[in-house]
Amino acid sequence: MDDLRRSRLTVFFRLLLTIPHLIWLELWGVLVFVVAIPNWLIALVIGRPAKPFQRFNAAFLRYSTTVFSYLLLVANPFPGFTGEPGSYPIELEVPLTPEKQNRLKTFFRLLLVYPALLVAGVLMYVAYAVTFLGWWAAMVTGRMPRGFRDLSANSIRYIEQGYAYLFLVTGSYPSASPYVGMVLGTPVVAETKTAVEVPPAAVEAPAAAEEPPAPEAPEAPSEK
Amino acid sequence: MTKSSRRLLGLLVFGALAVVWSYIAYRLWKTSVPTNLKLPKVDMSALVGASELQRARHFSLILDLFGLAGVFLPLVVLAFYAKWGHRFMRESAAGPIGTGMLLAMLGIAILWIAMLPSTLGELWWLRRYGIEKTGYAETVIGTWSALGAEFLGICLIILIVMGFARLLGDRWWLAGAPIFVGIALLVTFVQPYMAGLQPVEGHAALVQAEKRMGKQEGVGNIPLKEENVSEFTTAPNAEAMGLGPSRRIGLWSTILDGRFSEPQLEVVVAHELAHHKHNDLWKGVGWYALFAFPIAYLIARLTRRRGGMAVPLAVPLFLFAWVGLSTLTLPIDNAFSRRLEAEADWTALQTTRDPQAAKALFVNFVQTTNEDPNPPFWDPLLFGSHPTEEQRIGMVEAWQARSGG
Repeated sequence: MDDLRRSRLTVFFRLLLTIPHLIWLELWGVLVFVVAIPNWLIALVIGRPAKPFQRFNAAFLRYSTTVFSYLLLVANPFPGFTGEPGSYPIELEVPLTPEKQNRLKTFFRLLLVYPALLVAGVLMYVAYAVTFLGWWAAMVTGRMPRGFRDLSANSIRYIEQGYAYLFLVTGSYPSASPYVGMVLGTPVVAETKTAVEVPPAAVEAPAAAEEPPAPEAPEAPSEK
Repeated sequence: MTKSSRRLLGLLVFGALAVVWSYIAYRLWKTSVPTNLKLPKVDMSALVGASELQRARHFSLILDLFGLAGVFLPLVVLAFYAKWGHRFMRESAAGPIGTGMLLAMLGIAILWIAMLPSTLGELWWLRRYGIEKTGYAETVIGTWSALGAEFLGICLIILIVMGFARLLGDRWWLAGAPIFVGIALLVTFVQPYMAGLQPVEGHAALVQAEKRMGKQEGVGNIPLKEENVSEFTTAPNAEAMGLGPSRRIGLWSTILDGRFSEPQLEVVVAHELAHHKHNDLWKGVGWYALFAFPIAYLIARLTRRRGGMAVPLAVPLFLFAWVGLSTLTLPIDNAFSRRLEAEADWTALQTTRDPQAAKALFVNFVQTTNEDPNPPFWDPLLFGSHPTEEQRIGMVEAWQARSGG
């Protein structure tokens, strides 16, 4: 599990180090918006999103989760650019295959998601404020306080689940319960990339899983 | 084909490329300044005053020390980074190219930290002499933010180099170098659009003179613009920018603030028009291209020992090799730049036919920038993109002697 240690060097330059990711995320995001309308029409006709769009959008949401986890100091390693499952210690659980979705809910998706996105907007500001404080803490102690990490992680989770609902990746509404639909996994580093320990079942679980993973014990052993 | 005939063919190809390279270098090096021009010795103390000359020497000496730190400290820092930088791979969960990007960005970040005392020391010195106006905190924050653009640039470079290395192996430089040249062309072309240029106001006569001189030099109508830098510096400057339709002449607001007379400003404008007349910006890109290929080739050879540029492990060595080779070519790059500047001075004299204004301009440069008009021999090698002010005044006197003035 994440040992909460943070490299002071990368924390100091975290915002700048994330710029290439933010640009890539922006470009990818434009494409996600472009495919949103045909995907919505397909979902209305056949009752579930198209498989290629599902994979594309799910990868985008996983990638977005890793980028914001890195930016907001929720995780330490520099993320990859592909949103590959199991490639990062913080992972959003999204279905890899399209789910059957209620056509009526699909038709009104933009209206239904609105309250969730409002909450997501507030949570984003909360996460920024927490990151500002966490940045100082990490610079001084070399560790991210667990409470700050968890608050930001859950904010990111809720926001990404909101977008997963908007882009029809899942038919489940964003969950207000902490840790539901997110994996706080093993730190993944370049040298040990093949030894990722994210359970496939957890990755493939629907966004609103029935049983949330237990919160980490405070004295989690260091794996670095 | 036998081994010896392959070697012979390789030598022939190398020889042919060396001939082509030398011919292009010769063509770029050649200028319209008469080859037999002898510059007379100039008594600078008589022109600027002994005390001002002493002040300029003192100022330049300390500035040069900071300059030396700026040239050699990166080499030391990146040499250490080349040895130990790979340890930062553990900070990455990305693939090889993403990890390469992280290592490159961290290398630049560490360099920024190492250079900070020298940067602030130089700022202190420039502020002491009233050249810079930027505050210390502003500089730290400003240079930190500017790293964002540097990070993007280095990520693009790593993407190109590692991307081609994964496709072509050690021959990545054959595809990478032309792309870098293309990027240099693009940057030169778009620079005027990014510089925040404004119309020149309050200098109607100068604008008219620029149009007249543009026709005289055969460069057509090149817009004359102002760059507002007065908030940051008092140093006067002007620059020729752009290629083809983006060509501009940018005068810093500090040169238009009344310290320079209209005839002096006309010499400045004629000098910048001369850069466009002689296609100096194209030549600059050509010169860059001339070195981009061999430097990229040498980097490819050097990074082989770390597995080549296809793996992130080679990225710290790549940074060191790149900066090291660029430092090695610095004296020849500066010599090339000085030749282009000398040619622009010569053409400006031919255009304005006003040696008194030119001489007064160069004296004024010494007084407003505090730069030593006759620095030690190593100074121009490392920092001299322009001829020294003594050489420029010498050229004015040589021109006068030739023109019977």
